[in-house]
Amino acid sequence: MASSGISVAPECIQTFNDLKLGKGGNSPKWIIYKISDDSKEIVVEESSSDPDYSKFREKLLNAKSKNKRGEECIGARYAVFDIEYDAASGEGKRSKITFISWVPDDAGLQPRMMYSSSKEALKRALTGIASDIQANDPDDIEHESIISRVSKGR
Amino acid sequence: MAAVLPPTQAPSKDDYAGDEINALVLDPGSYTTRAGFAGEDTPKSVTPTHYALSKSGEHIFGENAIHLPRGDVEIKNPFSSDGLVEDWDTAAKLWEYAITSRLTGARQTPPSKNGLNDDPVKDGEGDTAMVEDMEKMEDEEQSRTLEEYPLLMSEPGWNPVKAREKTIELAMEEWGVPAFFLAKTGQLAAYGNGKATALVVDVGHQNTSVTAVWEGMVLRKSIMHSNIASSFLSDQIRHMFTTQQVPLIPHYMVKTKQPVDAKVPSNATYTNFDTPPHASFRRLEEERVLTSFKESVVQAWPGPGRLDSNTDAVKMNPARPFEMPDGWNTVFGPERFKVAEGLFDTKSAYPDPSTNSTPPKSDDSIPSLMHRALNACDQDTKAPLLGNIVLTGAGSLIEKMPERLQTDLQALYPNPRVRVIANSSSVERKYGAWIGGSVLGSLGTFHQMWISKEEYAEFGAGIVERRCK
Repeated sequence: MASSGISVAPECIQTFNDLKLGKGGNSPKWIIYKISDDSKEIVVEESSSDPDYSKFREKLLNAKSKNKRGEECIGARYAVFDIEYDAASGEGKRSKITFISWVPDDAGLQPRMMYSSSKEALKRALTGIASDIQANDPDDIEHESIISRVSKGR
Repeated sequence: MAAVLPPTQAPSKDDYAGDEINALVLDPGSYTTRAGFAGEDTPKSVTPTHYALSKSGEHIFGENAIHLPRGDVEIKNPFSSDGLVEDWDTAAKLWEYAITSRLTGARQTPPSKNGLNDDPVKDGEGDTAMVEDMEKMEDEEQSRTLEEYPLLMSEPGWNPVKAREKTIELAMEEWGVPAFFLAKTGQLAAYGNGKATALVVDVGHQNTSVTAVWEGMVLRKSIMHSNIASSFLSDQIRHMFTTQQVPLIPHYMVKTKQPVDAKVPSNATYTNFDTPPHASFRRLEEERVLTSFKESVVQAWPGPGRLDSNTDAVKMNPARPFEMPDGWNTVFGPERFKVAEGLFDTKSAYPDPSTNSTPPKSDDSIPSLMHRALNACDQDTKAPLLGNIVLTGAGSLIEKMPERLQTDLQALYPNPRVRVIANSSSVERKYGAWIGGSVLGSLGTFHQMWISKEEYAEFGAGIVERRCK
């Protein structure tokens, strides 16, 4: 498989494990990952224990990447969100650790190519992802559309 | 005058994040061969894949050379109708030409042959054997044209193992590249559109292919391809011209022309040739007229429904004028939709009036190919693939083709969300696979993926099967 060969920084896995194990009140609810500016590895851009999905979505929508001339353009990101939702039959709350690869269609070519060809490296490094969503336009990361896809088991 | 332009410089170090890889990207197609330096936005060298073969057996390549009307050449193409290389010797020369003519510069003439060292007086007989030996050695040295450049090549998804091994042999042994990689066009196009999972529909010249890419892996069993592509569309236009009695005269035959009214015989004088060019040359030149017809007149019926159930709606669309190189002109109304309809519904294709060739099979149309590819995939993967259909290839630039595929697929799969993504930039659609390869090949981290010369020496051509999946 042709892939970019971009590596995953150890902190990515550490932060993910904090989220997964949920230890302490301060454990993250979501993490946003990015490819470092030197295009060598995937690093944690931000993580937070704030469960407000709309703030998280806003951050993805405003993500920027640099193109190869160093100019800023619409960027792509990877993210993990511990999605909570009500089980269909009213059996109470469920939560699923969801991996989102956010590559907007109007992002620059460079970020599009880099994020899609490096995704597998990060996904393989994070064990315990319940659901994986490939998101390419703002509709794909609406709270409802994420919930509907996650609750169906994908 | 492409051939005499000085070779262009590789992008400077700063242009691509300081990675010191001067890799070349080669994306060979059956109509054009795209080559350029990794890290650039578009391929610098776009060479026709057709070539001229002279009576003396000389191969002539390049845009300027092959479009020159000559009586003593035949126009040929090294690709088979299946989109695979048939004539390897010529393909190798052509690809080398595509790279050296515009990018790396032609190889230097060895000092023994460039005339500067010629001794005006032939010295004694004794030395000739040694000189010949030296010439041989120099030839071997010099023929390794690309030994400074790692090479990333693209291939169609259905490329057989033998052809893949042949490709790496050619690159490593004849060109002497220091590192090599072979990537599937479907995968490159999916990545280029920001998707690790996608159903890639690539409309090329000879072939349309549909490839499912799942989490970056090409699903081999899903790959479907057929000849319902750009060249089929050209034939459809020819058949339409025949039935409508439209004269198709290529540019090279016209000496002068006068403007005439629509559908009036042209008022032109034609060039006389002592030895008229070969029929294959005329066909190539007709193809250029057909290409401009496709670009300016042809439109796909966007749906909903097929063309023949919407004849009244079609008539509401304005007709478009087209003028032949000799001045003959008319407007094309419903015909401009009808020629493209065969791509989606082979039953309504124009029949071939001249021969009794078999009509195209109905499951070769583009929507049927997509349907077959999806059926070859697991049930679970269908919904995500349908939501990520990537349309690429120069043949996909026919007006309203994305809309038509969207409605046809929606009718086939009413339930899940169907989304056809066609990049609005025609350059990115034409060179989708090349551009994907350009970004990949320019990444410093990609160096661990390359197959190095040493690895090739150790494991042989078989390594391409293990590394370039």
